[in-house]
Amino acid sequence: MDAEALAMPRPRPRPRLPREAAPPPVSNARLAMLVVIGAESMLFAGLIGTFLVFRLAAREWPPATLPRLPLAMTAVNTVVLFASLVPLTNALRAVRRDDRTRLVRALALTAALGALFLGVQGAEWVRLVRHGLTLGSGTYGATFYVLIGCHGVHVLVAVTWLAVVALLARRGAFHPAHHAGLEMCAMYWYFVCALWALLFPLVYLY
Amino acid sequence: MTPRRLVFTLALLAAAAGRAWAQSCAMCGSSFGENDPVSRAFSWSILFMMAAPYTVVGLIGVFLFFSYRRAGHPRGAVIDLRRASRLLRRSQPVEDSGGDLA
Repeated sequence: MDAEALAMPRPRPRPRLPREAAPPPVSNARLAMLVVIGAESMLFAGLIGTFLVFRLAAREWPPATLPRLPLAMTAVNTVVLFASLVPLTNALRAVRRDDRTRLVRALALTAALGALFLGVQGAEWVRLVRHGLTLGSGTYGATFYVLIGCHGVHVLVAVTWLAVVALLARRGAFHPAHHAGLEMCAMYWYFVCALWALLFPLVYLY
Repeated sequence: MTPRRLVFTLALLAAAAGRAWAQSCAMCGSSFGENDPVSRAFSWSILFMMAAPYTVVGLIGVFLFFSYRRAGHPRGAVIDLRRASRLLRRSQPVEDSGGDLA
């Protein structure tokens, strides 16, 4: 046998590195957001259940002495809220394309539309209080303010979140492969809008 | 069905159809009249509240089911197209394609 060949160490086979594990179909952040949305849904289910008891048990709804709810203005406001879903969806598309300018613009527009919705709601509330519909105006006033007010608080939280996300996007915090924060915020906004799709006909039309 | 089973089933159905069994509790049964709007309101509210958790959990479950199902599709197609085309052409030796799946 060749002595040189014996002296040469045989090349060791390279250890096979484990392949990178594929990301789960539903990320932990998304799963956590689903749990939050589920819990929030149950909160609103309880409030809607209370509303249904008072609404169905009442012989007269709304009571003759109390003002009617502003249907036309709230319907327009509903369109404003649902219109905010368009720029939000565009924002999600923009972050996947890594288009930061469009992302920031779309997020700012979504937040602005949400703030407009809140502003109009607030103005309507002021008018209603002036006309005598307060939290103490029996079950009609109490259920209206608690149910719609709770949704309003959620919109306020979502608008604040959107504004923060827009600022972060401006600083370049989101990339096509890393935008979980934006996705969570979008999920929450979709939830808030879906909730209004249920609350508006229930409280204002029914 | 044996006669004994038939009698048992009929007796069970008759018992279940009894009016007294349909009342939810003593308070609701005695406090409200037959068509009292308050009892009707409570009934609808209870039905709504009962359906809510099933709906919420069901929707989340459907979302998770379809998310996992959609993610499973690429894993289902395990034909290595690059390797297969090389095999067909037989122009060069077959190499590992690095696990690229079709």
